[in-house]
Amino acid sequence: MRHAPARIRRPLATFLLGAALVMATSACGGSSTPASADAPPKDITVTIAGGKVTPEPGRIEVTKGQTVRIKVTSDVADEAHVHGYDKEASLQPGTPASIEFVADETGLFEVETHETELQLFQLVVR
Amino acid sequence: MLLAHGIGGRQDLPIPFSAALTGAVLALLVSFVALGTLWKDARLGGDLRAARLLPAAVRRAVRSRAWPWVWRIAGLVAAAYFCVGLIFGPDVADNPTAGAFYVLFWVGLVPLSLLFGPVWRGLSPLRTLHLLACAALRRDPALGLRRTPPGLGYWPACAGLFAFVWLELVAPERATLPVIGIWLAIYVVIMLAGAVVFGAKWFGHADPFEVYSDLVGRLAPVTRRADGLLVWRNSLDGMAGLRPAPGLTVLVVLLLGSTMYDSASNAPTWVRIVQDAPVPAPVMGTAGLVAVIGLVFAAYRAATALAGRWGAAEPGSTAGELAHSIVPIAVGYVIAHYYTLFLLEGQRTVALLSDPLNTGANWLGTAGWTIKALGTTPAGIATLQVTVIVVGHVLGTVLAHDRALALFPRRTAVLGQIPLLVLMVIYTLVGLLLLFAA
Repeated sequence: MRHAPARIRRPLATFLLGAALVMATSACGGSSTPASADAPPKDITVTIAGGKVTPEPGRIEVTKGQTVRIKVTSDVADEAHVHGYDKEASLQPGTPASIEFVADETGLFEVETHETELQLFQLVVR
Repeated sequence: MLLAHGIGGRQDLPIPFSAALTGAVLALLVSFVALGTLWKDARLGGDLRAARLLPAAVRRAVRSRAWPWVWRIAGLVAAAYFCVGLIFGPDVADNPTAGAFYVLFWVGLVPLSLLFGPVWRGLSPLRTLHLLACAALRRDPALGLRRTPPGLGYWPACAGLFAFVWLELVAPERATLPVIGIWLAIYVVIMLAGAVVFGAKWFGHADPFEVYSDLVGRLAPVTRRADGLLVWRNSLDGMAGLRPAPGLTVLVVLLLGSTMYDSASNAPTWVRIVQDAPVPAPVMGTAGLVAVIGLVFAAYRAATALAGRWGAAEPGSTAGELAHSIVPIAVGYVIAHYYTLFLLEGQRTVALLSDPLNTGANWLGTAGWTIKALGTTPAGIATLQVTVIVVGHVLGTVLAHDRALALFPRRTAVLGQIPLLVLMVIYTLVGLLLLFAA
């Protein structure tokens, strides 16, 4: 076996130093946003009409521990689903349906409909 | 990967900008250090004559007649167990089939191959079935009805890999049993028919999982030397041993491009484009997948062609000769993208595997498993993602540097490496950008 030549070791050391730097910077980013259960509930309202989602799909950020209240109105019968949290609501045409839960897991979660296969938004829990 | 039925239900948070920036700076720094201070003669990919042997007990076990059969039987048993859920299980979210196929098998193949080398050759139930059928008919499994055409190379595997990533990332209803079942049935028929026509080496040309495992397995720290002895080796030597073959470039580009598409397709902008488009989502998805792979390929061809010209290499040789250097970048990106899926969704799948028929059974004793975080904090995930991407970049840069010294005359060697460095920096920056934004 050829051992790592001395010439790789120096760049490798530089690199490890850098990796430590990444760790340090992202750790700072993480600790500056403490989980907060006292934040007011996040209300999200989505309307689906003619296969179009209003407002247009995007990202909605909430804090870990915050309550999320989603109100979905569809013009066709369907099922709304929050991935990861696995919360579902059946949608009747024209009647708002709601899903409420505490966002206690960090990550990115898609909220979508099953029949029409539309993404409503992405819930970002930090 | 986001499949219906809750697979991949949780995805990673976008990484913080500071982490993406640090990774980018590191990648740039490493590239210049590599160009300026690394060795001046090609030295990787040697014959491992001086390699350190593994302990005698391990070598004896691996050399025994039982060893290959242990893994063949393990592969057959696992495949049979997988088929229970696939064929007899109900098509519901709690069926373990999709998780077992996309998460445990496909994603799990990467860490297994990274540690132990080309494992799928040893486990492949199709290779074993072919071997057993040949034994029953008293035929030599290596012999088929025809010789493989000389230009075959990795092309069948490219087609198979594209078919798989399309299934995984684009196909409608891809987590349902009929879709997985039909895909696998076609795969089995093509693999076995090809093996009958061309002999067992067909699997090495065509089985996308075997070729994938072989590619990644070149980074494993252990290998079987030409004389059959198990030795420790430098992963870089293993990777540098990958020789150009027809289709190799497309194969490595497929690995990187498909993972990048998976990231990009998650961006809200792309979601809006797909949902506003007049054509069905799978058509847009297919177009997007092909476009991303095409862009990665075009960048690769342009950079290697320019490197060949500036470095005064033999015309037409650079693209194939440098393909191996993209593999670590692709592997780094695959790990960054899928490791939390493997850890978290993998636990859920193992729990579901105890009850493939949904009867409340607990065959493996894992039915009660709840998903544990296993140390996956947002900061930790971001750090690991950036780290593996930069490690992949470093390995790729070192491999390209070493190969450039063999390809280019000394006078033009530095100049010829510049397009390659730029290419790798672009791949890495795009990778980081996708983790940050998509």
